[in-house]
Amino acid sequence: MVETVTVEGFDAFVEKLESNKSSGKPIFVLFSGSKDANGKSWCPDCVVAEPVVKGALTKAPQDAVFLYVGVGGRDFWKDSKCVFRTDPRTKLKTVPTLMKVGGPQRLEEEQCAKADMVEMLFEDA
Amino acid sequence: MRSIVVVAVGGVTSRLTQHIIPRYCTTTTQYSRHIHTSRASVWASRSYFRRPTSIYGTVGVCGSNVKVVGSSLESSKGGSFVSMAPITTDNINPGEVVDKSIAQNKVMIFSKSSCPFCLKIKGLLKSLNVEYVALELDQIKNGAEIQNALLEKSGQRTVPNVYINGEHVGGADKTFSLHTQGELLPLINKSTHNYDYDMVVIGGGSGGLAASKETANLGMKVAVCDFVTPTPKGTTWGLGGTCVNVGCIPKKLMHQSAILGGELKDSREYGWDTPETVTHDWGRMVEAIQNHIGSLNWGYRVALREKKVDYLNAYATFTDPHTIKTVDRRGKEKIITSDKFLVATGGRPRYPDIPGAKEHTITSDDIFSLPYAPGKTLLVGASYISLECAGFLAGLGYDTTVMVRSILLRGFDQQIAEKIGAYMEQHGVKFIRGAVPTSIEKIEEGTPGKLRVTAKTTDGEEVVDEYNTVVVAIGRDPCTSGIGLENAGVDLAKNGKVVVEKGEQSSVPHIYAIGDVMEGGLELTPVAIQAGRLLARRLYRKDSLQTDYVNVPTTVFTPLEYGCCGLSEEAAIDKYGEDDIEVYHSSYQPLEFTVAHRPENDCYAKLVCVKSENEKVVGFHILGPNAGEITQGFSIGLKLGATKADFDNLIGIHPTTAEIFTTLNITKRSGKDVSAQGC
Repeated sequence: MVETVTVEGFDAFVEKLESNKSSGKPIFVLFSGSKDANGKSWCPDCVVAEPVVKGALTKAPQDAVFLYVGVGGRDFWKDSKCVFRTDPRTKLKTVPTLMKVGGPQRLEEEQCAKADMVEMLFEDA
Repeated sequence: MRSIVVVAVGGVTSRLTQHIIPRYCTTTTQYSRHIHTSRASVWASRSYFRRPTSIYGTVGVCGSNVKVVGSSLESSKGGSFVSMAPITTDNINPGEVVDKSIAQNKVMIFSKSSCPFCLKIKGLLKSLNVEYVALELDQIKNGAEIQNALLEKSGQRTVPNVYINGEHVGGADKTFSLHTQGELLPLINKSTHNYDYDMVVIGGGSGGLAASKETANLGMKVAVCDFVTPTPKGTTWGLGGTCVNVGCIPKKLMHQSAILGGELKDSREYGWDTPETVTHDWGRMVEAIQNHIGSLNWGYRVALREKKVDYLNAYATFTDPHTIKTVDRRGKEKIITSDKFLVATGGRPRYPDIPGAKEHTITSDDIFSLPYAPGKTLLVGASYISLECAGFLAGLGYDTTVMVRSILLRGFDQQIAEKIGAYMEQHGVKFIRGAVPTSIEKIEEGTPGKLRVTAKTTDGEEVVDEYNTVVVAIGRDPCTSGIGLENAGVDLAKNGKVVVEKGEQSSVPHIYAIGDVMEGGLELTPVAIQAGRLLARRLYRKDSLQTDYVNVPTTVFTPLEYGCCGLSEEAAIDKYGEDDIEVYHSSYQPLEFTVAHRPENDCYAKLVCVKSENEKVVGFHILGPNAGEITQGFSIGLKLGATKADFDNLIGIHPTTAEIFTTLNITKRSGKDVSAQGC
């Protein structure tokens, strides 16, 4: 069973990333616009992608770790100096982004809402 | 008076004209048809021209009243109109007119000649090279009745009313929205066979990927089979073929790594306090390059998914002309049938038939992902692959030797080939000329280990030396054996390549070949890409454009890069005779070399011109930094037939190295000194 971890913000992401890296397990990360009090993300593509990505997790290796990361509010994310955009570990251009840590596998925006693409990424581990 | 109009292109015109124009005439229906290929025209002459008698009854004799309708029907390819005699729809049940029009035409538009939306639809279809038939309801007597029949049938009263393959599509908005969603062409091109695929591409390299994506773009069902058989050393790689994984891409990046080393030395002359000794980390370079390649491999897979091309990471073998068997890594077999096939399996390095070759040597398939630094290296062969590898290895600081049987860079301009050799020799590459290896033994394990290479010179002398790594680069063989081409009946040339007719068509009409496996082609990535794209457009969009294999520019990325387009001096003399060839040439020194105290006369430019053809330039050659960038631009001039006078009239960009081509005024025949001059 894939272990799903939900974190909010860059520091929490890095902490979870580093603590899981040593385990040698495949790590997948979905970066999304953070959710409001009602549990709804400000980013419409993220809203569409989330159930598709989570639904495809069955295709990921059983020992994989899945990090669901909220990148913050809209204004924080839209800043071109946003740490998620600049940090070499993430280098995000867009949300949602689904990626495999340590590999070239990456899907962006509406690609994250296509089940066959998401499955391909999980199966490529 | 109303008439039928057929638009056709090319050579069919006169034949159709003879048969049609003078014969019929009458009143009512105006049909127009937009046709592109001769094949389409044949189809039209068969099924369409028969129609007057079968559906619409007898037509009268026509004199001067044959009418050719508007320019919107004119072929975009400069084709001519063929007018066909008018046909009556009078006295025919409007419902029957509608049904038969729909049934007999792949794309049927019920239209009105004055309706702007109808014009838009026709324009769209023409831009897509799609054949259609339009019935102009405002130009026939019983147009209103037909429109009523249409309303009854389709529930749509307005025009345009579009039917594709017998199915109601709708009006202009619906048709355009299908087009934006990429669903219009698939609807039109719906297959008429029972195979699994319209096209199966064997080989996911540059050519195969380009062809498969273009074919899918045109609405066809496509699969790509790609499987990398590991090298004797166990190296394997991802989707994308030679260029991306074990060719152009890593080669150019390693070349760049070597160039940077040279520029670090220059930097001290330019004021940077760069340390005298800087070190290079092979492993870090390989990792960075392989990471980039990994992202390209992934990108190709995503692109195939996006285009709905099925990717099979499996080895394909023909079992009959329309069937392949695929076997994946786990040994799982699958039988797949297809209407057409494209063989784009590329080539792999050839090993010499000597003891120890396969066991102990590596090739270009291994070197770019070699996990350890190669150490003292011998390169066997004088191909561009050998010289490029030798160039970057020496540039990265490795003890490098090239063993050459006879000449450098066979097929390239030999004066330049020798200049490349001389420059490399001055910059640390050793050459053993006139020798071939006879055996290779391992004398020490390790990464790298140590190998003893025994070679024989043409004088019969034995040469023995030890190296850490031996790279063989003596040639490449096409991957055409072991894929069952004999089961499909595909003819191969002596060298193993697929024999093709014009249009990359093999001896089996529904099997095509492009790229490095195609006999008579050029082993260059962009050539395969172009061939793949254009082939798809010819097959599924009825284009006629063929790949032009003449004046293809290319560049060898040796330490001094060599760019060329057109003929070598030798080939030009062979073709035109020595008396008819004028060669203009000059050595030059890039401005950047001056401050860096680099050599003055190593860079060289040459134009090979045909005297009797107004000094048309048939060969362009440059040896120097950025030769690829320079050659790419100038090659358009050669394609357009530029003469020496055109080069002379061109004004240079100062200070660049490319500007040397605007001031070449010394002929080789004059024997004058071509040493570099100051500006």
